[in-house]
Amino acid sequence: MLPSTFEDYLEAILTITDNGGRTATLEEIAAALGTGKEVAGMTVASLIEEGYLERAAAAVRLTEKGRSVASRVARKHRVLQCFLTEMLGVDAEAASKEACTLEHGISDETIERLSSYMNGAQSSPGRLGRCRGRDTCTLLDCKEGDTVRVAMMRGPRRHRRLLDLGIFPGEVVQIRRKLPNQSVVVRVKGCDIAISPEIAASIVVESCP
Amino acid sequence: MRFALVGNPSVGKSLIFNQLTGLGVEVSNYPGTTIELQRGNTCFQREIVELVDLPGVYSLDGNSDEETLVRGFLEQQDTDAVIAVMNVTRLERNLYLLLQVAEYGLPMVVVLNMADEAVKQGLEIDPGPIRDLLGVNVVLTAASQGKNIDRIIPAALAASRPVAVEIPYDHHVEAAVRSLGKMFGADRTGSLRALLGFGDNPELLEAARTIADEIESRHRMTVAQIIAANRHNFAHNIADLTLKEEVVLPQTDLDSVLTRVFPGIPILLGILVGMLLVVFIVGSFLEEMIVGLLDVFAVQPFLALGLPPLAEALGTSLLLALQAGLGIAFPYVFLFYIIISVLEDSGYMTRAAFLADNAMHRVGMHGGAVIPFTLAFGCNVPAIMSIRLLHSRRERIIASFLVTMVPCSARTVIIAGIVAGFVGIGAAFSVYAVVFLLILVTGLVLSRVTPGERFGMIMEMVPLRRPDPKLVVKKAWSRLSEFLFIAMPLLLAGSVVLGLLEFFGIMAIFEGIVEPYTMALLGLPGYSATALIFGILRKEMAFETLAILAGTADLGAVLSSLQLYIFAIVTVLFVPCLATITVLLREVGSRITLAITFYTVALGLLVGGLMFRVLS
Repeated sequence: MLPSTFEDYLEAILTITDNGGRTATLEEIAAALGTGKEVAGMTVASLIEEGYLERAAAAVRLTEKGRSVASRVARKHRVLQCFLTEMLGVDAEAASKEACTLEHGISDETIERLSSYMNGAQSSPGRLGRCRGRDTCTLLDCKEGDTVRVAMMRGPRRHRRLLDLGIFPGEVVQIRRKLPNQSVVVRVKGCDIAISPEIAASIVVESCP
Repeated sequence: MRFALVGNPSVGKSLIFNQLTGLGVEVSNYPGTTIELQRGNTCFQREIVELVDLPGVYSLDGNSDEETLVRGFLEQQDTDAVIAVMNVTRLERNLYLLLQVAEYGLPMVVVLNMADEAVKQGLEIDPGPIRDLLGVNVVLTAASQGKNIDRIIPAALAASRPVAVEIPYDHHVEAAVRSLGKMFGADRTGSLRALLGFGDNPELLEAARTIADEIESRHRMTVAQIIAANRHNFAHNIADLTLKEEVVLPQTDLDSVLTRVFPGIPILLGILVGMLLVVFIVGSFLEEMIVGLLDVFAVQPFLALGLPPLAEALGTSLLLALQAGLGIAFPYVFLFYIIISVLEDSGYMTRAAFLADNAMHRVGMHGGAVIPFTLAFGCNVPAIMSIRLLHSRRERIIASFLVTMVPCSARTVIIAGIVAGFVGIGAAFSVYAVVFLLILVTGLVLSRVTPGERFGMIMEMVPLRRPDPKLVVKKAWSRLSEFLFIAMPLLLAGSVVLGLLEFFGIMAIFEGIVEPYTMALLGLPGYSATALIFGILRKEMAFETLAILAGTADLGAVLSSLQLYIFAIVTVLFVPCLATITVLLREVGSRITLAITFYTVALGLLVGGLMFRVLS
């Protein structure tokens, strides 16, 4: 297991580099962590030595290994912050700080359970500390061929038929067809269901791109 | 002994019912075909067994007409056993309904239908888990081939024990069920239904609502959602145990063609135009043949008899009516019904509904309205009955207006017989264009002014099937026989009355009175007004009456092209026929029916008058 400072660094670099897509300079890293440039330089050097980062000109970039560690920590942070703010009602800033401390000690399994306890509401990695504004994707935001999980249905009392056809929170559905005019066909439980745009817009889904 | 058939839509309930009872209940491949209870008898070992075919439902907890009907039927416990019909290729979703039915605790038999299709898909079915978990008999059938259908009744007779099934619900729901049971002595099913808001004990419902609200605030899911999820999960487990092979659903290539904008929409339009073209061309060819044959073998020999004038007048009008009726029935009506039956049975209608969903939103309905519209080309009466598949009253009102304006096969007879016959086929299509334009404008206006809530479409895309030619012909024939045995006598009687009135000169007096008005308004001779009025009884009578009153079947000789065109437009728009008015009264009430009647009369006269002014 890595020292917690290392994890903090990787997490910060993941944020700076937009999910590992670009490179981060030493200045940016130092600024993000609120430390001096020298201290940051030393930590970055040892991270490179361990194979979590690689040099790219004057900056550094996450390696595959580094990225996986960083995303895992980022996810823990998100789940914890979510839990603290949404379930316990802790103030957002305090929750973020506390999540930063807790994220290093908590096991993967506990995070999994916590996450599924909170109805498994997780978006893709790389959105550090943004869990409050959890992106509300609806069926309309998905592409043909996507497989998504239903998170919530707005106006649950209106569309009883959806429940009976097997579209309820937690169920995985596949978008079979989406017309330019936003009518969709989803496959659920082996059956194709055609849904009007205004109803599709009331079905909130997760893990969609 | 009485057994009831329960199941999802399009699983083959009606087909099994037909095979067991020998009755001809209508079978279609889209949700909502059976909307009423159908009863029939069958004999088994010299004992009469009554069968009830319930409408297809997805659940028993909804508020739609069919769900209320099925729920009401099961609540009365008025059946000795339930025959639950399942589509084994969609087992999981079908089991969801089965579990709900099982909770009613009636004796039950499970029929796993479409076993042949399942085998084709590489599924291995093990009826053991369902038998053991629910304690019921399971019959594997293939209704389309009639396989194992004979085992259903013996199995139902053997089912005497009520089913006992305990679906593991969420612990909060279980706790609620327990406390409701303690407080009100309600059984498990009653408590569950109270939590979902059904039942007739106000105190129980009140308490259940409080608990339901509490559970909802804890779970952030409604009780209905939780219960549905529990049932679905339980169904999923049973399905997993029952089906040995993972369902590898074939990527139906047809759907990738039919449900895309391109080429789906061109195909949809092609089917519509093609349907009209086929009916026009083949219909008029067959009609000429039938009319010609009757002319040579019936009318001319009759005239050659040289009977007294009154008898001859009566006989001639009778023969003319028979000629016109048969000339209409077989070529046009039968052809339309065959094409529509093929469309219905193939499952294409749900694809059309999906494609047209957005366009239908513009005129205030959802895609499901495509089904009544297509049916309306055959006859408005079943079309009006099928508007029940639209959920809100607002949609039904709009649909009832628009559907009555769709030219049915009888009005096609007028368009084909008068316009295509004497003016030209291009003009005939222009009548359609005018009518469709008016339907569109009416829809646009109605969707603005009609009050009420909007509902979108949630529709299962039923599997595409190759229509069975035997079933198609049988269905088209049963619909045609309605025409032959109800409409034909009316045609004959009306024709005789008309002949008598004509003979005694009453017609001439009436025509003398109305002629100035019809001439001024529409540029039509007085006898056309009589034809229009007879058109209210049956639309095709307008054509036939016109021919009788004009004294010749060659209308082009007595009326100008414009007069014929205007007559056709006015007849097509003018007042729905008597049968349509009757069914409108039942479905949407007297106020809307009256409004539709006034609107169509006004529209017909207005458009006819305008055309007369502009084109002459």
